[in-house]
Amino acid sequence: MNTFFLTELVTPDPNVRIILPELVVAAAGIIVMLYDSFFPKDRVTSGIISLVGLAVSAFLLVGLWSSEPLGSTSWNGMIAHDNLRLGFSIVFLIVTAMTVLISTVWVEREDVPVGEYNALLLFATFGMMLMASGNDLVVIFLGLETLSIATYVMAGLRRGDLKSNESAMKYFILGSFASAFLLYGMALIYGATGSTNLTVIAEKVVNPNFPALLLIGGAMMVVGFGFKVAAAPFHVWTPDVYEGAPAPVTGFMAAGPKAAAFASFIRVFVLGFPFIAGVAASNYLHETWMTVLAVMAMLSMTVGNVAAIMQNNVKRMLAYSSIAHAGYALVGFLGAGAANRGSSQDAAIASVAFYMLTYAVTNLGAFAVISLLAQKNDRRSDFEDFNGIGFKSPVLSFTLSLFMLSLLGLPLTAGFMGKILVFRPALEAGSTLLVVLVIVAVINTAISAYYYLRMIVVMFFKERVTEWVEPKMPIGLAVALLVAVVGVLYLGLFAGGVIEKFSQSRSGYEAQLK
Amino acid sequence: MEFFSQNLLTILLLLPVFGAVGIVLHQMFWKQEEQLKWLTFGITLVNFVISIPLIFGTKTAGFSFEVNKVWIAAINSNYHIAVDGLSLWLVILTTFIMPIAVLSTWNAVEKRPTAFYAFLLLLEAAMIGVFVSLDLLVFYLFFEASLVPMFFLIGIWGGENRIYAAVKFFIFTALGSLLMLAAIIGLYYMHAEQTGIGTFDFVTMMRSLELGQLAIAGTAGTLMFWAFALAFSIKVPLFPFHTWLPDAHTEAPTAGSVILAAVLLKMGTYGLMRFNFALFPDQSREWAWLFIVLAIVGIIYGALVAMVQPDVKRLVAYSSVAHMGFVILGMFSFTEWGMQGALYQMLNHGVSTGALFLLVGFIYERRHTRAISDFGGLANVMPLYATIFVITAMSSVGLPFLNGFVGEFLIMLGMWKSTILGVTATTNWNYVATMLAGTGVIFAAVYLLWMIQRVFFGKVTNDKNKKLTDLSTREIGLIAPLMFLMVFMGVYPRPFLDAAKDSVNAIQKRVMHQAGGDVDHAERNADLSPQTAVKDAN
Repeated sequence: MNTFFLTELVTPDPNVRIILPELVVAAAGIIVMLYDSFFPKDRVTSGIISLVGLAVSAFLLVGLWSSEPLGSTSWNGMIAHDNLRLGFSIVFLIVTAMTVLISTVWVEREDVPVGEYNALLLFATFGMMLMASGNDLVVIFLGLETLSIATYVMAGLRRGDLKSNESAMKYFILGSFASAFLLYGMALIYGATGSTNLTVIAEKVVNPNFPALLLIGGAMMVVGFGFKVAAAPFHVWTPDVYEGAPAPVTGFMAAGPKAAAFASFIRVFVLGFPFIAGVAASNYLHETWMTVLAVMAMLSMTVGNVAAIMQNNVKRMLAYSSIAHAGYALVGFLGAGAANRGSSQDAAIASVAFYMLTYAVTNLGAFAVISLLAQKNDRRSDFEDFNGIGFKSPVLSFTLSLFMLSLLGLPLTAGFMGKILVFRPALEAGSTLLVVLVIVAVINTAISAYYYLRMIVVMFFKERVTEWVEPKMPIGLAVALLVAVVGVLYLGLFAGGVIEKFSQSRSGYEAQLK
Repeated sequence: MEFFSQNLLTILLLLPVFGAVGIVLHQMFWKQEEQLKWLTFGITLVNFVISIPLIFGTKTAGFSFEVNKVWIAAINSNYHIAVDGLSLWLVILTTFIMPIAVLSTWNAVEKRPTAFYAFLLLLEAAMIGVFVSLDLLVFYLFFEASLVPMFFLIGIWGGENRIYAAVKFFIFTALGSLLMLAAIIGLYYMHAEQTGIGTFDFVTMMRSLELGQLAIAGTAGTLMFWAFALAFSIKVPLFPFHTWLPDAHTEAPTAGSVILAAVLLKMGTYGLMRFNFALFPDQSREWAWLFIVLAIVGIIYGALVAMVQPDVKRLVAYSSVAHMGFVILGMFSFTEWGMQGALYQMLNHGVSTGALFLLVGFIYERRHTRAISDFGGLANVMPLYATIFVITAMSSVGLPFLNGFVGEFLIMLGMWKSTILGVTATTNWNYVATMLAGTGVIFAAVYLLWMIQRVFFGKVTNDKNKKLTDLSTREIGLIAPLMFLMVFMGVYPRPFLDAAKDSVNAIQKRVMHQAGGDVDHAERNADLSPQTAVKDAN
């Protein structure tokens, strides 16, 4: 191939329309930053600009969903336009919008430089959206780094607080380490297949230049992505980082970046390393990553839930719970990997996106209540601090209970629909490994009941000994809470439309996989 | 009227939910705590009244008052509800017991009454939902949803050890039902694989089973059977899973105990009869021996443990374990008598054990103790109370002309006639099982009568008991309907049995006979079936 270095100049395919949602978010971030340098005290406008930017982006995204044929790529194959991208991007936009609203409480209380904070949030969102839409390892890496650098800074925004510093430092060092793994993995995959484009990689795994490189590269990427989704055994950073970071940021990290990492993780593994009947190399690769991820999923669920039982700090408890939830999401992920029909695969991918949506809404709601109750520097975030507040602040306590029940996955809440959806594809595939995985997940759900209920027990069943002053609720947070409550109930009761939209299969895809 | 009768079940379900929301709003705006109990009582009473047409409108065979609407199209789950002879009386029992439970709390709830009554109403909706849903996912939804209000009821308004009891109650039941959820999704795909359409709909599944398009067999079938059976056995509770029950019963407030005993436990037996028997007849027959053994162990063990309880409420709780053992025994005899008796005994247990918990609640409100040793000679100060207590206890023991007798007699008759356990040349194990269960009746007489003797008869030993007042009009009013039922159901059981007959028979036929299926399948199972064992023996 003499064209390796002298590739024919291809005509660029600058289909701006397709990445307009991403661009709008990035532009909104820049505007917020500029606005902040002129009016640094104007918190409200900065928030409004961010929200408007996110809304416009969501509007464009929904427009694209119906106007653009699903399954197409543009920018010479760098950007994929499919449900994986659209579903996850909507999740990111909702996460960020809710985080902006929730942050009003700590932004005011602790005098945070709000322009910088909002701009960072928007840049992080831009990164996440690129991660979901990138059909090329380079784009995915770009998105990941944009996201990571923004979140490193956000974790450390509480400059005077040692824990926050520790959180940022740990996150930065370990995160860079994980990024390095990921990047090395990408390089090896490039070495094995000669391309960074996932569509090409999916074709080349049939006959790679160097099969061992493919495996090693895949393993390294598992490490990198495993870190970002906080799946055991790459979860060790999570509790410290989540505990130290300001509560709204923690909520954001647990919902957004985790979902983004899942989006790329799925795209690279499910779509990039597919199972092709009768081809030894790809089968071996497929089987290996399925087994590895199944073990990771079981570990994450078990470690997350068992460790969460022993926590005394609510934020740490939720950190471990987020590890467990990464495990549940992996169940759906593996279902997508094992799917033998295009439509089931699309449905399975959609189930993970939907799961992340339910988790995001619930978790952000929980963090909204916690950031309000925890007061300055999150100093009141131990279980004891919530003793007996049940009937003293009934609205906050009952909403927090609702979120706990949703995290537990009780019927009538979003968490239940999410769980049903991720278990479905795993059972549909019918492999023993996945059935065992679902049973482990189910037993783990029962274990998790203990610590989610503990929150309710503490709030309602115990008496309060110390004085309790009900905190004042800022408008922004109230709106976010309302959105979360309505979201949890809506997704739990009337999720049909959303699920259908998420799992809309591209036409003609059915035959393609067979 | 048309609209009313078509949506009767939906109204029954939604009225308590809106009622709960209503009383919370009422408190937020008017803050009239005095009116709360009246409002709640009114709502539950209205719900009972509008459930009465069910009795007359339910056809003897098949489902009545059916509603089938799409809930979530993406996963093919429908809001499919209906009643038949099996669920009819359980729905009525629920709506009937609720006003009584509310009335029993008249002066007992001082703490947070709004939340208390709201949870009671939500619990009612969830319980009715369990008995009427025919979509497995919707059934699961109500089955789980009933946990939350009960969890709060025990946790906030319970006794000293309430947190432990509430959490134990929740986790025990949740573990079982979560496994059932996995099995429900498994069934969905089993149906999809064999017929091409995935469904959660119970009626559709039954049709596919009958047409032989669907066969639930093999390892997967056994696993799913056990997932369902475990969920329901924990709820019943069957012997080794019963430990949550005494704690929950003892710690729960009176209304909670009454509802727990009268209705919540029936979800387990109802589920076994409706879902396990119908969906997994082969597996049910194959494993019936185990359930029968556990039921007998439960009957004897529950009675023996009840005998030594120092606390009246705990004693009644353990007697529940024994009684529910009888229900399981009757169901797994797979005879018409046994299964009818089991269904009848479910209602009996709801009435008499519910009444016992109410009576224990009355005395607890007066003395704030339930220890048997604190009492003695109560018949001298509270003659009316003592009389009612003795009658209720007799109904629980199974005295002829009271309801308990009919149920237990039918169950034992059914078990005696059963062919489900093996028959060898020397022993008919069905007879053995019946005889062992029969000892349970004797034990029941022992522990209840002994308790009555210690509490009611003799001289008044404790000075604090000398000034106790007898039952008030309200208390008489709320116990009277239960007393009436005890006698009525003991003397004239026909209306109840007739209404349930066809539905129970359908299930019985389904369990004992092969429904369609390929020849191989039928033959293989014929080898395992108990009828063959009987034939061989003959």
